[in-house]
Amino acid sequence: MNWKEIFMNWKEFFKNLKTEDQGFVPEDTRREFLKIGLIITGVAAGGSLLNVVSVVAEGLATSEELHREYPYKPHYSMVLRVDRCIDCERCVEACRQTNNVPEYGWRTKILERVDAKAVDQQRLFMPILCNHCNNPPCVRVCPTKATYKDKQTGIVKMASYKCIGCKSCMSACPYDARYFNEEKRAIDKCDFCWESRLSKGIKITACAEACPAGVRIFGDLSDPNSEVYKIVHQMGKAVWVLKPETGAKPNVFYTIG
Amino acid sequence: MKRIIILASTLILGLSGFVLSEITEEGVKYQENEEAGGPEIVYTKPVKGVLFSHKLHVKELGLPCESCHTAIFEMEAFKSQRNPDFNMDSLYKGKYCGACHNGQTAFASNTKCATCHVGVKGLERLKKKAQAAEKK
Amino acid sequence: MERKNNLVVQGVISKEEFTQNWLQVLTEFLSGSKGFYILLLLSGLIVFISAMFGVNAMYIGYSHVYGIYREIPWGILISGYVFFVVISTGLSIISSIGHVFGVKSLIPIGKRAIYLSIVTLFAGFMVIFFDVENPFRMAIWNALSPNLTSNIWWMGTLYSISLIFMIFEFLLILLSKHRYATIFGFLTLISKVLAISNLGAVFGMLYGRDFWYGPFIPIYLIASAISSGCTALIFFTYLGYRIRNERLDKSMELALQVVGKIWALSLAILTFIVFWKIITGLVGSEAQRLAIRELMFGKYAPNFWFFEIFLGLITPFFLLFVSKFRNINQMFAASLLSFIGIFFMRVDMVVIGQIVSHFFEYNVTDFPVILTYKPTMHEIMLIIGACAFCVFSFLIGEKVFKGHHTEIH
Repeated sequence: MNWKEIFMNWKEFFKNLKTEDQGFVPEDTRREFLKIGLIITGVAAGGSLLNVVSVVAEGLATSEELHREYPYKPHYSMVLRVDRCIDCERCVEACRQTNNVPEYGWRTKILERVDAKAVDQQRLFMPILCNHCNNPPCVRVCPTKATYKDKQTGIVKMASYKCIGCKSCMSACPYDARYFNEEKRAIDKCDFCWESRLSKGIKITACAEACPAGVRIFGDLSDPNSEVYKIVHQMGKAVWVLKPETGAKPNVFYTIG
Repeated sequence: MKRIIILASTLILGLSGFVLSEITEEGVKYQENEEAGGPEIVYTKPVKGVLFSHKLHVKELGLPCESCHTAIFEMEAFKSQRNPDFNMDSLYKGKYCGACHNGQTAFASNTKCATCHVGVKGLERLKKKAQAAEKK
Repeated sequence: MERKNNLVVQGVISKEEFTQNWLQVLTEFLSGSKGFYILLLLSGLIVFISAMFGVNAMYIGYSHVYGIYREIPWGILISGYVFFVVISTGLSIISSIGHVFGVKSLIPIGKRAIYLSIVTLFAGFMVIFFDVENPFRMAIWNALSPNLTSNIWWMGTLYSISLIFMIFEFLLILLSKHRYATIFGFLTLISKVLAISNLGAVFGMLYGRDFWYGPFIPIYLIASAISSGCTALIFFTYLGYRIRNERLDKSMELALQVVGKIWALSLAILTFIVFWKIITGLVGSEAQRLAIRELMFGKYAPNFWFFEIFLGLITPFFLLFVSKFRNINQMFAASLLSFIGIFFMRVDMVVIGQIVSHFFEYNVTDFPVILTYKPTMHEIMLIIGACAFCVFSFLIGEKVFKGHHTEIH
C-alpha cells in the first residue's frame, strides 16, 4: 500500500496491522504441532518456526519443577477431556447442590464453542472452573489475604470473614472464576469441594463424580499412579491449559481423548 | 376461491405446527413446517439435551420414513427414552441410533459427541423456539 | 518565639489566640449571605439524597442496583474514586511546589489547594465506601491481615496516611507553624505519589488484562494528576473569588498564570502519552486491539473522541493558549470542560479494560466478544453526591477560612 492508499483507508490499515505472532503460522501447521503436544510460541521474520515448546511446559512446568517448586501433597488437580462433554450439566447441578451455590452465580460452567466452518463437528463443550493456579493473580492482589493458596494441597481457598468485597480478585482472575456470594457476604469460587467433601474424607469432587461421560478427572498431580499425572505427563497427546500467556500457571488441564 | 385455499392451507400448516410443538418434562418437540418430515426432538433422559433432527435426516439426507419406523423407532416421540436401555451402550451394540451410527452407514456413535448432544443449551434454545411458535 | 521565615499568614495566630479563632470560625460561618446559605442547602440536600441512594443500594444489595456484574466488576464508582483521588493527588503535588519546594510564585494557591485536596480525597473515600461490599471490614482486616503484594492494600493505606498528614499540614498552616507544615507537606507529597503509583499499578500489574497491563497507567495517572490538579485549582480559585466578589491580587494572578502554564505542559505530555497508548494498542495483542478498536470506533467512540480528546485535551489546551494564561475567564472555561473530559477519561480507563470477554478467542456462545456495561441511577447519583460534597465543603471552606488568603513578605 502506498501512502495515499493508507491515508484514504486509514481505518482498514490499522485494523489489518498484524503482529509477528502465531497469526502468521498456517492453521494446519499449528494443528499438526498441537496434535503432538507442542505449541508454537514464536515465529521468526523469515517464516521459519522457532520456539516450539510443549504445551504443558508453556503453562506449568516439567514434572521435576513441579515437585521441586510446588511441594503440595496431595497436589489437587483436574483434567478435562473436552471431546466427551455433552453439556448435560449434571456437574453444574451437583456443584450447586453440594456447595450451596446460588442461582445468580456459578462455580463451574460449561461453555459452548461453535464454529460453523469446522469440519467433523461444529460444536464443542468446554467446562470451566477455578484453575487453582500455581501463580495466582487473585492471591497476589487481595488486600486482606482473604484468598490464599493452601500450603498443603495447593487449593486456592477463601477466608470469607476477611473478604471486604473490593472485587480486585474478580478483576485479576483471567478465567472469570469468581463471583460475589450475597449469603456469605464474600467472594466465592470453586474450592475443589474442599469444605464440602475433601476435608470430610470424600476423595473426589462433586462435579467429577457426577459426570456420566468421564470428562472430569480429579486427582493428585504429585502421585505418579494417579490418572491426572499420567495424562498430564505424556508427550503423545496434546494437553493444554487455558491462557498460558497470563503466567498464572493453572492446575486444570484440558485434553482430547 | 384462491383466497380460501390459501387461508385453509395456512390454517392447516399453522395448526399442524401448533400440534407438533410440545414442551413436556420428557423433552421438547418442535416442527417448523411440513417439509421437515417430522419434528426436531430433544430428549432429556438419561441425560439432557440429545437432539434428533427430522429436518436433517428426512429433508436434507432424504431418508424415507421406513428406514427407522417402525423397526428401530416407534412413531411416537419420547417413546424410546422411556426404555431403561436407552443409553450409549445400547447404541454401541447397534440398537436405536446405533443401527446406522456404527461407523459404516453413518459416523460412529462414540465420535463427534456434540453433534447430537446439543446439551442443556440446545434444549433451552429449542424450548424458546417452540414457545415462540406456540404463541402464534 | 517564632523563627523568622519567608511565609507569613495574614493574621498571625499564636497559640493563645487559637481558641478565640475557633469562635471566629463559627461567627464567620453564621454571617453569610442569603445566596451562600441557599447554595449550601442545595448542595447539602444533594449529598443527603445521594447518601440515601447509597444506603438503599446497601440494603437491597449492590448486584441488584448497580450495573456491574461478574464479568465487569468495576464500574463508574471505581472510576469516580480514581477521578477524585487523582485530583487530590494533583492538588497536593501543585501545592507542594510552593510550600515544600519554596517556589514563591505558587505560594498563594497553597492553602486552598491543601483544603481541596483533603475534600476531594474524602469524596473519593465516600464513593468507594458504597462500592466495596463490606466497607466496615476494610478497616479491620487491612490492618490485621495486610497483604504486602497487593497494590490495593498499599494504595488504601497510603491514601489514608496521606489524609492524616494533610490534615496536620493544614492545621499547622492555620497555626502558622510553617516549618512543621513543610515537613508534613513533604510527607504528604511522598505518600500521595506512592499511593497514586499503586493506584495505577492496581490496573497495570494485572497481566491477564491486556488493555491495562504495563507501566503506562501509573505514568499516565501521575501526568493526569498534575493536569487534574491544575484544573481543580483554576476552577475553584476562580469560583472562590467570584462568590466572594473579590478581585484577584497580583500574586494570585501570577500564581494562576504559573498554574496555567504547568497545566498546558501537562496537557501536552498527556496527549503524547495517550497517543502512544492508542498506537501501541492498535498493534498489540488481539485483546488489546479489540479494546482499542471498541474505544475508538465502537460504542465508546463518543466518550473517547468528544469527551476525552476534545473536551479533555484539545479544547483546554487551545483555550489556555488563547487566554495567554492571563484571561482568567477563559482559563475557567477550560477548567470546566476539562473536568468533564477527565471524568470520562477515568470511565474509559476502567471500563474498557474489562469489556473484552475472558473467552473471546474461544468462539463461545455464552459470552459476546465485547461485553457491555451501563451505569445505573444509583451509581450516577453517588457520583453526583460526591461532587455535591466537594461543592458543599468548598463553600464552607471559602467562608470559614476567609478565602484562604496567604501573604508573602
